[in-house]
Amino acid sequence: MNYYERPTPLQEQANREAMQHFTEHLNQFKTNCGALHGIECNLSATANDALKSALLVPGRVIQTDDGTQWQHDVDLSNVTSVCHRHTAAGVEFAVVECLPLNSREIKETLNSGHNVREVLQAFTSDQRQVLSLWKEDVKAHVREHLGEKYPRQDMGIVVESFEIKMARAISETRMHAQSQNRGIRI
Amino acid sequence: METIPKNEEPTVAPPVERLAYSVQEAADMLGVHYFSVYRLIQRGKLKTCHALRGKILVPRTELLKLLETDLR
Repeated sequence: MNYYERPTPLQEQANREAMQHFTEHLNQFKTNCGALHGIECNLSATANDALKSALLVPGRVIQTDDGTQWQHDVDLSNVTSVCHRHTAAGVEFAVVECLPLNSREIKETLNSGHNVREVLQAFTSDQRQVLSLWKEDVKAHVREHLGEKYPRQDMGIVVESFEIKMARAISETRMHAQSQNRGIRI
Repeated sequence: METIPKNEEPTVAPPVERLAYSVQEAADMLGVHYFSVYRLIQRGKLKTCHALRGKILVPRTELLKLLETDLR
């Protein structure tokens, strides 16, 4: 199918219907892209806050499931925070996740290292991979949904439009974050 | 005299245990937001299978494993 062609009325109808069906997913996706964007834009400030906190204020202790004890510095989201601990090699920073499951909390170190900025960059890079995973899964759900509602119809263009919307949400935040970090306004 | 037959209790079929769940269903079972489930998948805490043209499915055994590990 040539995706530069205009969609047929049936494809337009399917697109509207699918947009309605997956509104919640798309909104949640955009919200999470925005949250990641916020972390990327404030990366330098967050890194400075974590450094200050590590040098000055003794934070609350978080013990991860492997037994390592960290001191809380800055929250990144409601389940992730930047923490530090003192080691023989100097101060080590980490992004720690405290995820409350139905039974109890998983407390895990996601990224760690001695350079807090690099730790945050590794974390945001991982979160981008999570968004890509999410995008591919939603795309598969949309394909399945359309296959059931419109059997034997080519709805590739509709699936493609979903993919483009979600990819755009990811790339817009990346471009904005990069320009912010370089001091460029777009 | 006729005896009144006892009301037979409707037979309830035992719930079928599914082999795998979607990310949304897995999130409901774990009690977390589905973004958290994608994060668990991304870092290998939850292994998945890709069936039905790319749709992510989380095997029941993986969910139980995570919950059991979590209960230790």
